Amino acid sequence: MKKKNAKKVLALMTAALMASASFVGCSGDTSSSASSDASTSAESKTAKLMAAAEGAVGNWGLGNEYEIQALLRKYGYDTSYISQAFDMDGFDTDEILLASAMTYNELGLVKNSYDGGYNYGDTVSVIDMNEEGVAMLEDMLFCTKDFAEKNPETVKAFVYASMKGWAYACANTKEAAEICYKYGSSVSPDHQAYMADESAKLVSTDMSGNTVDSSAYGSIDKNAVQQTLDLCKKYMVLDDSTAADKLKNMTTEDVYNDTFIKDVIELLNSNETPSFKPEKKEVSIQLKWLPDAQFMGYYVALDKGYYKEVGLDVKDSDIVPGGGDVGETTAVSNGTVDFGVTWVSNLISANASGMDLVEVAQVFQRSGLVLVYKNEWAASNGVD
Amino acid sequence: MRHFLKSRKCRMISSVMYPVLFGVIIFVLWETQILHSIMNTSTDVLPVPSKIASVIGENITKLMGNLWITTVPTLIGLAVGSALGYAVAVIASIFTKWGGGGITLVSCFNAVPIVALAPIFNNLCKHVSTDIGTRGMAAKALVVMMLCMASMSINAFRGLTELPPFSTDMMKSYASSKRVTFVKLRLPNSVPYIFTALRVSVPISVISALVSEYFIDTREGSATFCPGLGRMIRDTILKCQYSAAWSYIAIACLLGITLFVVLMIFESVMLKNRQKQ
Repeated sequence: MKKKNAKKVLALMTAALMASASFVGCSGDTSSSASSDASTSAESKTAKLMAAAEGAVGNWGLGNEYEIQALLRKYGYDTSYISQAFDMDGFDTDEILLASAMTYNELGLVKNSYDGGYNYGDTVSVIDMNEEGVAMLEDMLFCTKDFAEKNPETVKAFVYASMKGWAYACANTKEAAEICYKYGSSVSPDHQAYMADESAKLVSTDMSGNTVDSSAYGSIDKNAVQQTLDLCKKYMVLDDSTAADKLKNMTTEDVYNDTFIKDVIELLNSNETPSFKPEKKEVSIQLKWLPDAQFMGYYVALDKGYYKEVGLDVKDSDIVPGGGDVGETTAVSNGTVDFGVTWVSNLISANASGMDLVEVAQVFQRSGLVLVYKNEWAASNGVD
Repeated sequence: MRHFLKSRKCRMISSVMYPVLFGVIIFVLWETQILHSIMNTSTDVLPVPSKIASVIGENITKLMGNLWITTVPTLIGLAVGSALGYAVAVIASIFTKWGGGGITLVSCFNAVPIVALAPIFNNLCKHVSTDIGTRGMAAKALVVMMLCMASMSINAFRGLTELPPFSTDMMKSYASSKRVTFVKLRLPNSVPYIFTALRVSVPISVISALVSEYFIDTREGSATFCPGLGRMIRDTILKCQYSAAWSYIAIACLLGITLFVVLMIFESVMLKNRQKQ
């Protein structure tokens, strides 16, 4: 009897082994497929840096990776990267040599000495996605197409008040930082001030480095959207073939509607007090990240009563903070909130999977994503 | 008829039929989107089963690759953790005076959330290997091991110490040594308790491997490299790719169910004689 049992157990174990062995064939092989369109011949500074940091380029993933992948491919590398945590410890310990950072957040923490900072000062430099030609549009205001169709006056009023808030915030960054801190900040007042200054730069400078006039804040540049969409088509991997097909056939018309922002800019420049007849007065907005100066325009508009001026009822709690695992596109799509702040690439992937979202104002006119590196490390690899 | 209703065959049929019937009803409601209207959700967020199945079909190689990356540390962690847990229980049962207290301390590990353990073990494994994939595997296996060890040691300790009444007295009357008492009495007595522990550990091991992947270093973003099922679920949900997300969720469920069924078969084989008594 005992022998029989042992035999059964043995048979089971062999079966399990065989089953697991059949998976081995599918395990991740890292064979890189360097692309042909990369300009490896150009011995630029970036090329040298990318070569020295091969396999140690970091990004957070979760939809933030496409610019980094485009850069990797540009210099002839495989599009994989190391998963980066939301702190900069990996960069600090040299585990990640080229680390992703937003100019208005992580870069400040790397450079500065205040609470939470790593105090690198001027001993670090960056690779700028805008200069490399792989920039994608980031923070923008969006809602569902259905909402925009049914509540055009609400959308216009909300965009008007928000952009007025952004214009004020960009002109008075110190005050804007204090306002953000008041409404429940996730970071120290010092870092908040830094964030306000850097966010203002992204609102007032475009991808080619030209200054955007304060009267044109929030305008949607078709070419920039096109560049973003093209990069998405190249680097976004969608497992669902229906979604992949939808992405392939997507045009910029499926991404944005600039009639609202055009009207708003006209109204803001006309110097007369506009009157709106919002169809829906109580509106809310979902932020992409924790409450801080990356979203100062909305907090300023709330604090200065701009939303009230246009006949909207926006309370403190109607500006909903996000975080690592909040899907702002899902929140807007299922109607939990009316508006949202997300990156254009995130809206594109959401629409590809069947959602019906539309961008109504482009707040950040250029990419805030950079790859930060230590000058000392660069020098040891022959880059000044 | 009454005889039939009381028969073993009938009980077998009803114990299988009811869950299957329930499953079929849910499946039909889901596929016909009645479930969506009950839950007030759309097919964008909760794709229908046929859609999920077609996405699984399209990406079977990628799914299997990710399944492998999650399964290996799950099984290693489960095996090593359970073995260590049993060893701890044996030591505790030998030194009963402080053993019970020690086991209570070990059980504290069960209360530590995975989200807190994962980053700690991730940092601990930083220098294990230069290959980021191996490093991640080690960290994941450690998280799984920790949780499995806790549940095994608690249950096995009970199995080794809570003996049938007067059985130790009987062994004493036979003048058997401590070693013989252990091998002939305590060890066999603990076997059902091992399975009680495994029934808890197997689902926990899969869940802890999936969740720890959120926080553990990996290489991602390439078509050929698999970061694991848990990571892919999080990634696809944040990118609003719900049909892809559900395909990974389905495979993760399959992994959990398969391991549980294997355990059940194992248990019925191992405890067959016991039930006959």
